Amino acid sequence: MTRAPVDDATPLAGEVAQRLRFDKAVLDNGLAVIGEHNAGAASVAAGFFVHTGARDETPEVAGVSHFLEHMVFKGNERYTAEDINRTFDELGAQYNAFTSEERTVYYGAVLPERLPQLIDLLAELMRPALRQEDFDVEKKVILEEIAMYEDRPHFHVFDISAPLFWSGHPLGNSVLGTKESIGALTREQMLEYFRRRYSPQNLVLAVSGRYDWDAVLEQAERIAGAWPTFEAPRERPEAETAAGRDGVVDPKLNRVHVAYYAPGIAMTDPRRYAAAVLGNVLGDSSGSRLYWELVDKGLADNASLGHEANEDQGAFVGYVSVAPERAEDVIARYQEVLARAQAEPPTPEEWRRAQRKLATGLTLRAETPLGRLTSLGATYQSLGVYQSVAEVVDRVMNAQLETGLELLAARPFDASFVFTLGPGSHEAPR
Amino acid sequence: MSSDDDASAVVGATPEVARTPLTATLENGLTIVYEAMPWLPSVSATLVLPFGSVSDPEGFEGAATVLHEWMQRGAGDLDSRALSDALEDLGVRRGGGSSRESSSLTASFLASELEAVMPLFASMVTSPRLDDAEFEAARELAVQELESLDDSPALRLVDELLAAFVASPQGRSPYGTAEGLAALTPALVREEARRNLRPTGAVLALAGGADWDRVLAAAREAFGGWQGDGVNLPGVQVGKPGRRHVVADSAQVQIGLAFPGPKPGTDEAYVHNVALNVLSGSMGSRLFTEVREKRGLVYSVSAFFRTLRGFGYTVGYAGTTPERADETLAVFLAELERLSEGVTAEELERAKTGMLSALVMQGESSSATAGRLAADVFNLGRARTLQEITAKVEAVTLEDVNEYVATHRLPEPTIVTLGPARVAAGVAQ
Repeated sequence: MTRAPVDDATPLAGEVAQRLRFDKAVLDNGLAVIGEHNAGAASVAAGFFVHTGARDETPEVAGVSHFLEHMVFKGNERYTAEDINRTFDELGAQYNAFTSEERTVYYGAVLPERLPQLIDLLAELMRPALRQEDFDVEKKVILEEIAMYEDRPHFHVFDISAPLFWSGHPLGNSVLGTKESIGALTREQMLEYFRRRYSPQNLVLAVSGRYDWDAVLEQAERIAGAWPTFEAPRERPEAETAAGRDGVVDPKLNRVHVAYYAPGIAMTDPRRYAAAVLGNVLGDSSGSRLYWELVDKGLADNASLGHEANEDQGAFVGYVSVAPERAEDVIARYQEVLARAQAEPPTPEEWRRAQRKLATGLTLRAETPLGRLTSLGATYQSLGVYQSVAEVVDRVMNAQLETGLELLAARPFDASFVFTLGPGSHEAPR
Repeated sequence: MSSDDDASAVVGATPEVARTPLTATLENGLTIVYEAMPWLPSVSATLVLPFGSVSDPEGFEGAATVLHEWMQRGAGDLDSRALSDALEDLGVRRGGGSSRESSSLTASFLASELEAVMPLFASMVTSPRLDDAEFEAARELAVQELESLDDSPALRLVDELLAAFVASPQGRSPYGTAEGLAALTPALVREEARRNLRPTGAVLALAGGADWDRVLAAAREAFGGWQGDGVNLPGVQVGKPGRRHVVADSAQVQIGLAFPGPKPGTDEAYVHNVALNVLSGSMGSRLFTEVREKRGLVYSVSAFFRTLRGFGYTVGYAGTTPERADETLAVFLAELERLSEGVTAEELERAKTGMLSALVMQGESSSATAGRLAADVFNLGRARTLQEITAKVEAVTLEDVNEYVATHRLPEPTIVTLGPARVAAGVAQ
């Protein structure tokens, strides 16, 4: 267990780290079972991480990963939808699921004595019936969800701009899909997708908090050991990202919502910690260069940037909310801040400050087993390794400014893509 | 790969950590409340001050939110940039906001930095600079946040609903008004600071991995010199129930309803809350099942208990496309009405299990714990222990709930819808 530099004056952090234990096993059918045991936790969280998401979809089935995520809660031969929800309630579980470009995760947290029932139930989810009548009702819910996000322009602007930035690369695929793609989707298409993607070798069962490892492993073997396995590879085409400007006019909006993209690095690149620190120096929601240039001066109520590392590609992604009459000036200043960083790189003080902010954030998120579960499962699924929070904090605190300079030397912000969604009274050069 | 750890000895044996909040009141009237979570490397702090849109002077709506922004822009010897840098050099994650009855500052940091963080954190309320040079930017940000509200129909609905439901100044939007914000001057907001940044009635709540003596010493050192009497907030008055539709060009109709409930902290409030959890505590609850699972009418539907100081009320929310708004509201109201017919023993058990389990899990997070303590002291005048809340929830019986729902039929709610065109007469008469 690595001890982080910030632990020096914080013996407690070290004690916590030393209480943790990593457990891991892979069943014969390829299902990975992992755990981070914390004897001091009052609860336990568990989740199935499915290595499939929007990037694994073809255009005809856009949104199927997310729609399927809803459908698995509809049960199977043994459980109706009501049974599923009722049983989660009986366990007092905090539970949910989410879908991203790269994965679909089903998770819950309970008191330790109820973990076996939670794992049983999560495992039932992984064997859904996908009944036609449930499919028809849930399709309406998905269409409502799409309508809801249409009313959230700070979200919608990314949904419509990502495909343009990623220029056809599957990382630009919309998680929600469109009214048209969801409207046209059939149960058979979903079933075909499920049969192609939900293979045990494409799944990780992760547990964090207080649990009995032998019991977890025995249960996983008993429940999931016989699930048939098959290859479920992910396509990884090269990305050629777009640069320049684009936009959509929506007269009902009051503000201009700006999505900003610039090329970044992949999760597999050891420089990703430096990229995260660099993103924080430039675009954290407080105290960053963009904050001081735009938000502090009252020119925009939001102007941020961060680095997002996907498995094989990454990007600096930013957002601005601004009044229409100021939009062009603010976009120019936003780009100027980032372009200038390539000539005037972060100072050691700025670098250190960003490292410490990130370290505190990582520590806080890991306070609860549920807060810890996502990074535990995702890191193992995408990189095949275990990383304790102390180790991640350590990597962040040891990320070198020189590595940041190396990232800036590639001049990522010269290749930026800016997309505006606004009422149209601003000038959006096309 | 198995470990030689005897895990069976651990599972089922929850470490019984005493979760008793410790409270002290400084000579100047500031209440300090702390709950130790000794296994954590972090500490979270929440400072709540009794001012918000409710205390804005007539014609200057938005003064509180501008003050909240302005007071963070430099304090004591440090200008805005130096203060921000000093806090961030210590790795502090900051937050907070200005709401209806209160404004808050929050900070989370590593426990080792407690003594360094506290004076900086306190300085924003004890000695804010309120420099003229920072005023316009603070106001401009508030103006922009108000303008951004137009692009967030769900947030706008909450404002419109509370404005219709609450007749007293608590019904005012925490975002202020365009006119009110335009009328503000540095002198006027400075006067608001003098009136409102006071230790009496303020609450400093902390939770995390430090011991009480250290916390109290650091808080006393940082806040002890703060002086002044607080202001009294008016009581809550409810408006006349009715229906209102706000025209907005959105894809979904936002449906909100509100009605008064029991006084927070009373036994009746626990019973009411348990009943509401049967209605809407989870994805297996009645509302989710009837509105979403069976009919596919919405993505989001919920009902929950909310409190203003000394006043409890229930809020319902649903978002749906216009052609389904009537049916959604009808099913929602029917479920509220059906509650008076009683709940089953199984429903009660599930609701209680969920509430008790959630208490344990929230108790694992330092920021959630600090927030709970601050809200308790602010709203109830004292911090409840987790054990007390747990015991109160556990004590609610089937007879309690069924007698309560039978004798407390749904009062006529205030209903506000927000969306395109005037939806059918059933929704907005």
